[in-house]
Amino acid sequence: MSAIIVLTPLVVSSWPVIAAAVMGAAAGMGFSVHGPELHEEPTRRKKVTTEFENSEVVADAMAAGQKLILTKGDLTVEVFRDERGRCSVCVSGTGHSDRELKKIGEEVVGRITQQFIYNKVVTELKQRKGQVLEEEVLADQSVRVRVRL
Amino acid sequence: MGNPEIDIVISKTGKVTVEVKGAKGPRCLEYAELIKEIVGHEESRQLTEEYYAPDGDVRIDTKVRAKSG
Repeated sequence: MSAIIVLTPLVVSSWPVIAAAVMGAAAGMGFSVHGPELHEEPTRRKKVTTEFENSEVVADAMAAGQKLILTKGDLTVEVFRDERGRCSVCVSGTGHSDRELKKIGEEVVGRITQQFIYNKVVTELKQRKGQVLEEEVLADQSVRVRVRL
Repeated sequence: MGNPEIDIVISKTGKVTVEVKGAKGPRCLEYAELIKEIVGHEESRQLTEEYYAPDGDVRIDTKVRAKSG
């Protein structure tokens, strides 16, 4: 070993790149992915919104309607670019407390961030002629990537 | 020594731990900086023994001379 550093991720990119991470994370968590056109019946569902701490969805021509909807059982998760340009998730569902919905939202934010950083690191290191030697998912759901440069 | 290896662990919250192996001295930090540039802000840094090792091969010859008398 020679150096170990711990990094806090920044999720800054265009909507298509973030959407790719959302779809990857959703698949891993067992959610189905729908476009913004998914119509939801108006019900008295609780809703809790969680914001990505360090995020920015770079505005582009497709800025309007930047939203993906994930569903699993009675849970609906909307992932969208808020009015400040940040990425946010809104979790709704029946039979869940606010605390449970908040926890689910935080879990979704974490997994999308993980997928986004994985995609970015692997893509950028390959562009720099890096060779991925090994990839694995650890018991705690962390993803380990070993790269030779 | 061959090309350095970088061990990257991305936690389920997105926090990233990077370990650079096989690069000594300031060279290893160049690789760490590269990952930092891709990922985000640095939270903490730990330098290990290899960082302080000289960058290059070092040969130590030891001769033991028997003392006669």
